[in-house]
Amino acid sequence: MKPTIGIEVHVELKSMAKAFSLSKNNFNDEVNSNINVIDLGHPGVLPRVNKGVIDMALKACLALNFKINRLMHFDRKNYFYPDLPKGYQITQQDTPIGYDGYVEVSNKKIYLERMHIEEDTCKSIHTTDTLLNFNRSGVPLIEIVTKPCIESGAEAMEYLEKLRETLLYLGISDVKIEEGSMRCDVNVSVSDSDKLGTKCEVKNIGSISNVGLAIDYEIKRQEELIKKGGKIVPQTRRFDDKTKTTILMRYKETGNDYRYFPEPDIPFIYIDDEWLKNISDNMPVLTDELKNKYVSLGINSNNIKTIIANRNICNFLEEVIEDVNPVIASNLLTGDILSYLNKNIIKIEDTKLTKNNFIKLVNLLDKKTISSKQAKEIINIILEDEKDVLEIVKENNLEQISDDSLILDIVTKVIKNNPDSVKDFKDGKDRAIKYLMGQIMKESKGQINPNLANEALIRELSKY
Amino acid sequence: MRYLDLDIKTINEKLKAKEIKPIDLVNEAFERIEKTNLNCFITLNKENAIKKALDLENKEVDNLLFGLPIAIKDNILTKNLKTTAASHILDDFIPIYDATVIKKINEKNMIIIGKTNMDEFAMGSTGETSYFKNTLNPWNKEVIPGGSSSGSASCVAARITPFSLGTDTGGSIRQPASFCGLVGLKPTYGRVSRYGVIAFASSLDQVGPITRNVYENALLLNAISGYDKNDLTSSKEVVPDFTALIGKNIKDLKIAVPNYYMSEVIDSEIRQNVSKIITLLKENGCTVDYIDIDYLEYAIPLYQVIALGEASSNLARYDGVRYGLKIDNYQNIDDLYKNTRTEGFGSEVKRRIMIGSYILSGENAQNYYYKALKVRKAMTDSFKDVLEKYDLIIGPTNTDVAYKLGTKQDDALKSFYDDLLTIPVNMAGLPALSLPIGFKNNLPIGMHIIGNYFEEDKIYQLASFIEKKLNLNTEPKEVE
Repeated sequence: MKPTIGIEVHVELKSMAKAFSLSKNNFNDEVNSNINVIDLGHPGVLPRVNKGVIDMALKACLALNFKINRLMHFDRKNYFYPDLPKGYQITQQDTPIGYDGYVEVSNKKIYLERMHIEEDTCKSIHTTDTLLNFNRSGVPLIEIVTKPCIESGAEAMEYLEKLRETLLYLGISDVKIEEGSMRCDVNVSVSDSDKLGTKCEVKNIGSISNVGLAIDYEIKRQEELIKKGGKIVPQTRRFDDKTKTTILMRYKETGNDYRYFPEPDIPFIYIDDEWLKNISDNMPVLTDELKNKYVSLGINSNNIKTIIANRNICNFLEEVIEDVNPVIASNLLTGDILSYLNKNIIKIEDTKLTKNNFIKLVNLLDKKTISSKQAKEIINIILEDEKDVLEIVKENNLEQISDDSLILDIVTKVIKNNPDSVKDFKDGKDRAIKYLMGQIMKESKGQINPNLANEALIRELSKY
Repeated sequence: MRYLDLDIKTINEKLKAKEIKPIDLVNEAFERIEKTNLNCFITLNKENAIKKALDLENKEVDNLLFGLPIAIKDNILTKNLKTTAASHILDDFIPIYDATVIKKINEKNMIIIGKTNMDEFAMGSTGETSYFKNTLNPWNKEVIPGGSSSGSASCVAARITPFSLGTDTGGSIRQPASFCGLVGLKPTYGRVSRYGVIAFASSLDQVGPITRNVYENALLLNAISGYDKNDLTSSKEVVPDFTALIGKNIKDLKIAVPNYYMSEVIDSEIRQNVSKIITLLKENGCTVDYIDIDYLEYAIPLYQVIALGEASSNLARYDGVRYGLKIDNYQNIDDLYKNTRTEGFGSEVKRRIMIGSYILSGENAQNYYYKALKVRKAMTDSFKDVLEKYDLIIGPTNTDVAYKLGTKQDDALKSFYDDLLTIPVNMAGLPALSLPIGFKNNLPIGMHIIGNYFEEDKIYQLASFIEKKLNLNTEPKEVE
C-alpha cells in the first residue's frame, strides 16, 4: 500500500505593521493594544496594503523556486466566526503570489502547489466566556501548500526542517512551531491502487517531530483499516501528544462554502521587473549555499549541522570567517561557546564576546601559541568580559612556550638532571619518555608546547 | 425671507461683511426642520452645530462653503455622532472616527446639521426600507422622495440646508434628486474617498453632492474630491476646479443619446421633455446623435448579482460581537448571529443578503458572479467606445416621476426598475448628474447627463447651460 501526504504550512511574517492596516505587528504586546478600526472591522473601514509583506512573500517565492503571479489580486473568504471581525478573511484564492515551486531535500524534490498571502484572525481565549485578542487580527501570513508528493513521516519532517530553515534565513519569520508562528496541517491518504486514497487531515501539530509521528501513525491506522476491509471516511483529526496517536475531531462536511470573490477594496497589484529585481538583488545567503561553503572549507558535517541549526551562531561565524581558520572557529563555536549559551539559555549576542576577541583567540590557537586547554579558560573569560584576549594571555602567563631555543634549554636541563631515565631510555624502556616529558612540563609550569617539546626530547635523547 | 434661501455667493458676502453670522444660518435650518414634517433626519446635531457656529465667529471666512449648513446621509461615519445606516442593527452606533469626506467638510468649516434618513443600508429606492420610517417628498407628501438618499434629497428640496451628501450605488443620489427637483451628482468611481462610508457594494458605491443648483453642486464636489491613502480605490487624478467650465459656450459639444434611454420603457411625457432639451441643444450648436450601448438591458440582473454579492459580504460584520445590536438571549455563537441579524436587519436587507449569498455559493459564483463581471466589462467597453466619439451622454434619469408611497412594497423586483437607467453608470464607474428639466403632474422630471471618466467639469458645463436656459422654479410650494 502506498501512502500519499500533502502538507499545508501557515507562517506568520514578522513585518513591522499588519498586512492591511498600520497597527504594529506584535502579538506579545499588552492584550488588545496593537489594534485600530480596521483590525476591529468597524463599519466603513477599508484595507491598506503593506508593501513590506508582499516583499517578504516575494523573497519566500524566490527561495522556494515558485513562479510568480505578476498580476495578482486578493479575494474574500466569507465565513462567520467570532475571531473573524469582518466576517471574511482577505486572502488569495485565484492568483496566489507563488505557484509551482519546489524544495530540494536529501534525494528528491518536494513540489509546492502554491503560496499565498492572507491575514490572521484574532486570538480566542476560552474561559467561562470567550475573550478575543485583536493584536493578532490582520497579522500577515503566508500559506505554503505542497503537492501530494510526500511518502513518509521522515520525508515530511525533512521538508519541514528545510522549509523552516529557509524561512528563518530569509529573516521573514520566527518560524517557531511551538509558539504558533509556523503551523502545520497534514493530509494523509493510503491507497492500494494507482488512484489516490481518501484523505484525512491532521490539524495544528505542535512540533516537527510530532508531524512525523502523526503521519506514521495515520498511515498505519489507515492501512490496517483498509486491510480489515474498512472504508476511510474524510475527517479532521488531531495529534495527541501523550498517546502519540491521532484522534477524530470531526467528519468533513462536503463542500465548505466560503463564497470566494475578488476583494473589491484592493485594486489588482502588478509586480513589475524592477520590483522583482530589487527583491532578488537583496536576497540573503541561504542554507544550501552556506553548507556547500562550509564543506569546502573543511568543517565537519556535525559542526555544519549545528551551525545551520543555530542561526545566530551562523551569523557570527559568517562575520569572522574571512579572518580565521574556519575549522578551529567552528569547533569553538559549536563546542564550548554553544554549551555556555545553552547552559545559560542566552543568545551569542547577549554575551560580551566580541568578534575581535574571537578572531584573536582563534589565531592564537591556530599558531599553537596557546593550547586548547588554555583556549577554553580564555573563552570562559571573554564570554563575560570584553577584556582583550592578548592582555588576558599576558596577565595570566598563558602563552605557550613554542620558541625552539627556549624549548631546547628546558629539554637539555631535564636530560642533564635525570641521567637514570636517559639510561632507561637507552635500555629500551618506553616509559622513560613519559617521565621525562612530565619533568619538562613541570619545569615549564605547563606552558611548553607539548608537541614541540616531545620532538626536541626525542631528538636530544637520540644523541646519547 | 431667509438668508438660507439666497445663493451661496450672496450668503458668503454677507458672512464676510459680518452682516450675518453662521449661527443665523444654523438657527434658520433648525427652525425649518421644526416647521416641516418630512422625517428627513434620523439624528440632529443641534448642540454641536450651534457650538461650531459660535466658534466660527472668530474665524476668517476663507472659502465659499464657510459656515454653511450641510446634511449628511446616515451611512457616512461621523465621529461621536450616531450613524445608523437607518438600521436597527446600528441604531445606537456611535463611530469613533470620521469618514474622509467628513474631514474634508470640516476643513471647509461647513456645519453638519444632522444625519439624514435613508433606505436601510442604502438598499431601496423609495426611502421606505428605513428602520426609522419613510421620508416625505416636499413636492407632495403622498409620493416617495426617492432613495436611498431620501432624507438628503428631501432636506435640500425643502430648503432646510442648501447642501447634502448622499451615496450612489445604483442611482441613490440621482433618482431622489430627480424626484425632488434637485441637482445630484454621482462622481467618477474613485473621485471621492469611500473611507468611512458604510459599504453596500464596494465596487459601485460613491459619495456625491445633492444641491439646489449646478454651481453649488460643483462647489461641494470641489470640497470632497481627491485621493485618499486610506482608500486604495480612490484616484490620484488631479482635481480640477469643477466650476471652471460653468458658463462656457456649449457649441461644438458632441452629445450621444442611447436609443434604450428613449425607448418604450420610459414614460412618453418624460421622453417629450428630454426631446425638448435635445432640440434646445441642437439649436445651440451641439451635435446630438442617437447611438446604442451594449447590454444596457441587463442592468438590473447585473446589479442584483454584483451589488448583492458584495453586499452579502460587506454586511457580515454586523454580528453582535463587537458593536451595534446584540440580542443577548443565546445558547451558542450561531444563535447569537441568527438572533441578532434576524432582529437587526429589515426584510429588504435580509432578502438582498440572501440573494447575494446564493449568488456567491459554490458553482453559482462562476455561473452568476464571474459571468456578471464579464458582462460588466463588456458594457463598460461599450460606454468607452461611445465616449471616445462623444463628450457626453444624455437621457432621462428615471422612467417616470415620483410615484405614490407604498406602491412597490409588495413587489421586491419592481423597485429595482427605478434604477434601470442609473445602474449602468455605476457599473461603468462613470460620473453622472441628474438635473430638473420640467414637471409632470407638478412633480419634477430629472435629466441624466453622463460624462467621461474624471470629466465632471464638462457635465456641469452642459447642466448649467440647460439650467440657465430653462430657468425653472425648482422650489416646492408650501413646504411648511
